[in-house]
Amino acid sequence: MNSSDADVGRKHRFDRLVGVWHRDMYRYAAWLCRDPAIAEDVVQEALLRAWKSLDGLRDDAAAKQWVLTIVRRENARHFERKRLETVDIDNLTASQAAMLAESSDSDLDDVRQAIYRLEDDYREPLVLQVLMGHSTKEIAELMDIKPGAVLTRLHRARNKLKDEIGEGAAA
Amino acid sequence: MSAAGQNMNCEDYKQAIAADPSESFDGGALHSSECSSCNAIKAEMQALDVRIAAALAIDVPDLKMPELPAITGEGKVVDLASRRPIRWTTPAWIGLAASVVLATVIGVRMTNTGMEHAGMVDGTLAEQVIAHLDYEPRALTVTDVAVSDRELYSVVRPAIATLDRDLGLITYAMSCKINGREVPHLVIQGEKGPVTILLMPEEMVGMPIRLEGKSIEGVILPVGNGSIAIIGERGERIDELKTRVTETVKWSI
Repeated sequence: MNSSDADVGRKHRFDRLVGVWHRDMYRYAAWLCRDPAIAEDVVQEALLRAWKSLDGLRDDAAAKQWVLTIVRRENARHFERKRLETVDIDNLTASQAAMLAESSDSDLDDVRQAIYRLEDDYREPLVLQVLMGHSTKEIAELMDIKPGAVLTRLHRARNKLKDEIGEGAAA
Repeated sequence: MSAAGQNMNCEDYKQAIAADPSESFDGGALHSSECSSCNAIKAEMQALDVRIAAALAIDVPDLKMPELPAITGEGKVVDLASRRPIRWTTPAWIGLAASVVLATVIGVRMTNTGMEHAGMVDGTLAEQVIAHLDYEPRALTVTDVAVSDRELYSVVRPAIATLDRDLGLITYAMSCKINGREVPHLVIQGEKGPVTILLMPEEMVGMPIRLEGKSIEGVILPVGNGSIAIIGERGERIDELKTRVTETVKWSI
């Protein structure tokens, strides 16, 4: 195989294993940093890291966990560089506010705001479980905490949300 | 609670169901089946999760794909400020596959399916659906082994759609990419053989698109703001499957 064939093969593998997850990468990044503009930057950095490190991915079936791990690290790097202050929901930047832009569904808006306000430690496992379909074990590996801690954070997160938003209009 | 659930008490159950509303933990199903108050809590948590899933599914913008540098072994990640962003493009394999299908439409038979769509309405989507069948031929295995709930619901996530097992014997579930978007690709076992189902919540079609091939047939069905492709062997009861699919699949987005 010449270098051109290898490049094409690498690009195909990248599209198949990494590109397919770009929407999940964005949503995960957005809920980690709570800022759509930063999330786009984080996803771009993560895509470049994934491209560079693609040969290190040995198990194709683990691609999603692998790319989300890269997103998580890139998000951490971003905030290490920027040293951004804590987000105050009553004093959001335009980009942050865009994530909470009102829709025609007031219940959806209420739930989204309540999730936005959750502490990072509670919000992240919730995103990974509900949005990404991760198991407790996968969340524990990604967040580098014990499965028991994942379960504790998840039940606290839901109980906080339940207390805040109640049963909703549909209940 | 009285004698409900020998290995789990109500307090344990309440904590566990709040951490995992799918109730996949040991002893959960037994406990809730025997304890009405905990069963009600389970329903409450599952309803909450539907709202959480909808709230988490924020809109995804047209992401810009960074220029990917050549890999020389000493490659360095390009700095954010120095990259030239380009639009996110359809992966190369889809382009290649679509080219193959275009060749099919002008008379060259495709490798596996020998299939083309009737008319050229929404041609691009139909071409990609057809091309995808050739891309994942391993999905079309005759088997009676169902995918696990975990495998199924990690592909058909609450943020995308909900479906129940009444759809049929689901033997394959994989997230795939059609038209640049991630979609659940399922296979159920039909009367004549495996039937491919692609759930495409964001691919709107104006009318049903009939797909016909030498040995297989199918349809891309408009469903809400999206569409669902159903493709089976020639003679498969596609009309009956259409009804079953539309009754068991509900979009979340």
